[in-house]
Amino acid sequence: MQLPAPLEAKFKELAGRYPVKRSALIPMMLYAQDQFGSLGDEILEEIAKRLDLNMIQVEETLAYYSMLRRKPAGRYHVQVCTNISCMLRGGNELYQHVQKRLGIGHKEVAPSGTFSLEEVECIGACTGAPAMQVNYDFYENLDADKVDAIFEQLQAGKKPKPSPVTAGALHERLPAEVPVISKRFGIPNSNKIDVYRNNDGYRALEKALKEMTPDQIIDEVKKSNLRGRGGAGFPAGMKWSFVPKDTSKPKYILANADESEPGTCKDRPLMEMDPHQLIEGVVIAGRAVGAHQGYIYIRGEYRYVIDIMDAAIAEAYAKGYLGKNIVGSGFDFDLATHTGAGAYECGEESALMESLEGKRGYPRIRPPFPAVVGLYGCPTVINNAETLSTVPAVIRMGGEAYANLGTPKNGGTRLYSISGHVNRPGIYELPLGFPLRRLIEEVAGGVRGGKKLKAVIPGGSSCPLLTADEIDIAMDYDSVAKAGSMLGSGGTVVMDEDTCMVDVARRIMHFYAHESCGWCIPCREGTAWLRKMLDRFHGGGGRAEDIPLIDELAKNMLGRTFCPLGDAAALPTISIVKKWRNEFEDHLAGKCAYKPAEMIAGAR
Amino acid sequence: MAEQKQIAFTIDGKQVTTSAGTLVIEAAKKQGIEVPSFCYYPGLSLQAACRMCLVEVEKVPKLQTACTLVATDGMVVKTDTEQVHKARKDMIEFLLSNHPLDCPVCDKGGECELQDMTFRYGLDKTRFVEEKLHSPEEKWSPLVYYDAPRCILCFRCVRVCDEGMDVKALGVGSRGVQSVILPNQPGELACEECGMCIDICPVGALTSGTYRYQTRPWEMTYVGNPCAHCSNGCKTTLSVRNNEILRANNRDHSGINGEFLCAKGRFGFDFTTHAERVRQPLVRRNGKLEPASWEDALEEVARRLKQVHEAHGPAAIGVIGSNHTTNEENYLLNRFARVTLGTNNLDHHRTADYAGLAAALGPRAKDSLATMADVYNAPAILLIGNDVTQQNPLVAWQIRTGVRHHGLKLYAINGRPSKIHRQAKIAVEVAKGGERQALRWLATEQGQLDAKTTEALVQLKAALEAEKDVVVLFGAEIQGSAIRDLISFGARFGGKTKFMALGDYANSRGASDLGVLPDRLPGYAPLADATERARFGKLWGGEVSATPGLTARAMMEAAAGGKLKALYVVGANPLKTFGVAQPDRLAGLELLVVHDMFLTETAQRADVVLPAASTYEKDGTLTNTAGEVQLTHRAVDAQGPRSDFDLLRILSHQLGMLGLGSAIRLRTPEAAFDEIRQNVAGYDLSQANLLGGGSEVAAASCKAPEPSYEAPSGAVFSSQDYLFTSGTLGRYCSRLTSTNEAKETPWGSSPNTQSWWYR
Repeated sequence: MQLPAPLEAKFKELAGRYPVKRSALIPMMLYAQDQFGSLGDEILEEIAKRLDLNMIQVEETLAYYSMLRRKPAGRYHVQVCTNISCMLRGGNELYQHVQKRLGIGHKEVAPSGTFSLEEVECIGACTGAPAMQVNYDFYENLDADKVDAIFEQLQAGKKPKPSPVTAGALHERLPAEVPVISKRFGIPNSNKIDVYRNNDGYRALEKALKEMTPDQIIDEVKKSNLRGRGGAGFPAGMKWSFVPKDTSKPKYILANADESEPGTCKDRPLMEMDPHQLIEGVVIAGRAVGAHQGYIYIRGEYRYVIDIMDAAIAEAYAKGYLGKNIVGSGFDFDLATHTGAGAYECGEESALMESLEGKRGYPRIRPPFPAVVGLYGCPTVINNAETLSTVPAVIRMGGEAYANLGTPKNGGTRLYSISGHVNRPGIYELPLGFPLRRLIEEVAGGVRGGKKLKAVIPGGSSCPLLTADEIDIAMDYDSVAKAGSMLGSGGTVVMDEDTCMVDVARRIMHFYAHESCGWCIPCREGTAWLRKMLDRFHGGGGRAEDIPLIDELAKNMLGRTFCPLGDAAALPTISIVKKWRNEFEDHLAGKCAYKPAEMIAGAR
Repeated sequence: MAEQKQIAFTIDGKQVTTSAGTLVIEAAKKQGIEVPSFCYYPGLSLQAACRMCLVEVEKVPKLQTACTLVATDGMVVKTDTEQVHKARKDMIEFLLSNHPLDCPVCDKGGECELQDMTFRYGLDKTRFVEEKLHSPEEKWSPLVYYDAPRCILCFRCVRVCDEGMDVKALGVGSRGVQSVILPNQPGELACEECGMCIDICPVGALTSGTYRYQTRPWEMTYVGNPCAHCSNGCKTTLSVRNNEILRANNRDHSGINGEFLCAKGRFGFDFTTHAERVRQPLVRRNGKLEPASWEDALEEVARRLKQVHEAHGPAAIGVIGSNHTTNEENYLLNRFARVTLGTNNLDHHRTADYAGLAAALGPRAKDSLATMADVYNAPAILLIGNDVTQQNPLVAWQIRTGVRHHGLKLYAINGRPSKIHRQAKIAVEVAKGGERQALRWLATEQGQLDAKTTEALVQLKAALEAEKDVVVLFGAEIQGSAIRDLISFGARFGGKTKFMALGDYANSRGASDLGVLPDRLPGYAPLADATERARFGKLWGGEVSATPGLTARAMMEAAAGGKLKALYVVGANPLKTFGVAQPDRLAGLELLVVHDMFLTETAQRADVVLPAASTYEKDGTLTNTAGEVQLTHRAVDAQGPRSDFDLLRILSHQLGMLGLGSAIRLRTPEAAFDEIRQNVAGYDLSQANLLGGGSEVAAASCKAPEPSYEAPSGAVFSSQDYLFTSGTLGRYCSRLTSTNEAKETPWGSSPNTQSWWYR
């Protein structure tokens, strides 16, 4: 099959990117889809041929990822987020407006072929909610008028200006903030290598490569008490130390930038405004464990971020920070991005590796752990993009100095993306242990409209919710755990007194049911069952016995699923039933005290 | 193999010692503790997906999956606690939430693992009041149907198709609760149609096109028989109701094939009820075959045989035997030909040179013949010729499984591509028909080969010479002196080299072993040996002539030339087999008698056709290509046709009354088998194992190696049947021939078949 030249070039480049051909499958499909609008038999057969795959292998991989499609979408594929952060700020109403305006529903294409519509899960624009994407362009802080203006321009054949950077990432520094990894945010052209170098960039790399042994690097990271920023909070230095030293196999560094946890949008500005910081962190990690190849797995929806990252990687190669003999140290390291194609589960580390290998994003059985058997069966360090972005600062400042920014065992600072019913949704860098109450009231400017606080999700929608009475806690891994929740991904979602908690439970479950990979029974069946039940309950069809059943089914998933997604679905549900049981009872009595949101199904 | 380290752990209060690396689920099973599971399947990759096998482990906060948990020293496992029972109950409840519960109309009812587990562990009520997922049933092929709502997504089918069969025809579509199993073409399977996916499905999601909606499993009786088709001798359990076979599968996974069956074993049983089955004797009157009574037909045969015998002598009579008839029938046929009719013109279509192997090995055969289990267990295999995937599916399965389970190394030499080469460490594809030459070079370094082949063979030779306990498999490409080359080459490998000749049909080996050969008496006793002639003569109540007989091909030529006046064909179709199908080819014959199930090309030309029972309709023993003997049973009554055993026995009585030979006194196959066990070299087998449904290896072989033995030219050749053909029999297996894949040979150049056969 004759491909258009740019796609052919992309295919050639992708084919050379991985030691195993199949890894190029998902990127090839996504880029081909961008070219042709959908994936037809001919192009899929061509890809299968190029990658030595059977069609069934191609088909089953395609079927897993929600961005990939066999049927054409419109020229402008409108994707409206109705997940929790957007929902709280009018995402449902916006979606209804768009439906009316375009005259089409979920996954429908307008007869003219100009527009198609999809209700999507969290797109990582939580601090700019409500938000939508048109093809790959982000439009944030929307309302009906803004949407109308965007559609008018599109219909007129003009491209409306997308939101320039992640909304809420740029703001005047607050006194409480401690900018370490976000310190270059706002500097013009901060994504360019020269600007980066002029602002401490690549100094840590020079130091690590020229002045430190791999063990010293690991020690420094251990001293920093840097813990995983993806959610689990595992100490990064310890993770690195698990990688076997004497192995003949190649080793890999993976940056997990598949940011998809609802309420979380911190990796996006981090890569968008400071891509070199991540590159530097990855190379240092490579040096520490003896790896010579890294991949940055970025969720497919963040295409413009991938483009920025690719450009930064090219710059780093040009300036000798990647490739052979980096800064004259004799150390070689290669790095490339890898695009996801729409699957929350691929943020789970082993599922991410499966996905990077061109397969369905099913998690793997552990042990063996990735440090021993990871990507392509080789030792692999996989860290969240933010974790790796922090590494240069750790090396530059010294582990101890970094650790001292935070609290004991919870070193340094982290980014919080705070969204929902606050006056100043945004992305803030704060030291670990920062009080949640201050985060809401001081940093985010308090609950908007003078309303009272009802509930907080501290770190992404997988976390048990906290009531207004439970916010006097320090935001570090241990304190939040003690309070019965999790620090998670730093995606703090705030809900005011008018929020219907049954609706929140329903919307959260929709997300997990949509994202359940289907591998294990309790998650696959449990999330789907709970979704149907919560829909029915919220829609007025509840029964008294449903309330304990919702709680029990969630508990029946808890701790028994193959990967943490089951827990992620169960924990918030259990906490909502426990803490706001009265709202479920009100629903039963036919009196939801809050503006009853119309039934909107959530992405499917 | 190195001694396995032992570990001790506790399960349900019992101290258990087991080898290191044992999974808790397996260790539990050995203690008689059932840990339920759906996705776990011994021999396939681990999944931990169904979460049914969750157990408590002391000092571990969460429940663990016993299917992935390796027992370690000091571990304390509990499978019988409230927490574990609750977890099982909850998993069943989740599973049933979208399961249709159409058990009363589901084929799997009564044999369903989900049903059994719900019975044992499930909740007594349903709490799911939401709408279940619905989707219509899909027909993927005439043999395989998929009902997505019933599917519990244990992925056994996907794994057995990929890992077990190396076909990769199944995948998983969509995601989450919408996940479904996908066939490799939109809504349609293109595969080997082995039906392993149906067999392995714990529920009624994958159902068999031949069996669905036919019956309930408890209404049937079950008979375990060796398959009627290829030479591998897989056990297939025939499920019978009202004297009809409704299903074939290896129900209890016993037998040499374990869980394996190919399309023929699983779906190729409907020849028994085929409409064209000959059910009444036919006698040619006024040029036309007309139904006759058994009395008339047998009288006609006896009278006319006697006439030919009197007029032209025994040398004018030829007897062609079968690759499908039982050992007992072959034994009887031997006696019938040599003593009753007095002719050594006795042969069959030889599909592998078993006689050549017997002549080359001599008494070493006893410990040099590889069994099907040896093929799986071998550290290395040398395979020359034969496309085992197509022609010897169990052999191919054993090789694939050995590669997967313990790193068996396959070395192959073949004149054409073969799917099994994917498993090969080294596969040398020589010129078409070049296997003999390649072997000659390996054994003697003589002969001219092109540089590329030579280079590949040098590599293969070096690798093989470093191996030990190699199993050598070879097809009909290797015969006579080539087998001697192979054995001398095999002697260079370390340890004990074993051999297996790969033939075509269910009793190909048995026909050779029991002496359906012009120059060999049963057990490869040379006809030239007067002592052996005397021994069998005494046994059979007559004299065995020393005059060597004609091969089957020579008989056909003699018939054409008018030298042969009567031809007695039992379960064979020589007109087709020997490619001499011109109508006048048999014109010189005065009498052609055919025992068969169908009016084959040969039967259509017969003077008398005696309808014969199939192997599923009679008792006896069959010998597979490895020499493994198994009992076959009368699973259904033939309803008209009679066993070849009975026909030969009755006819001997008729002829005896006419003064030709003496009546065969062996009344039953059991009695004949007793005589075989006492008198045929290599067949002195213990009965106990056979009666229990097992197999015994018959090492029939020559008393001494015969360094100059050559198979007669053109006598040994394969029919090149593939997965969907089976000689004449295969033409009457409507289910088998109904598939798309059956329409083309795998060795054709059509891109359609190539795409799934070799990729």
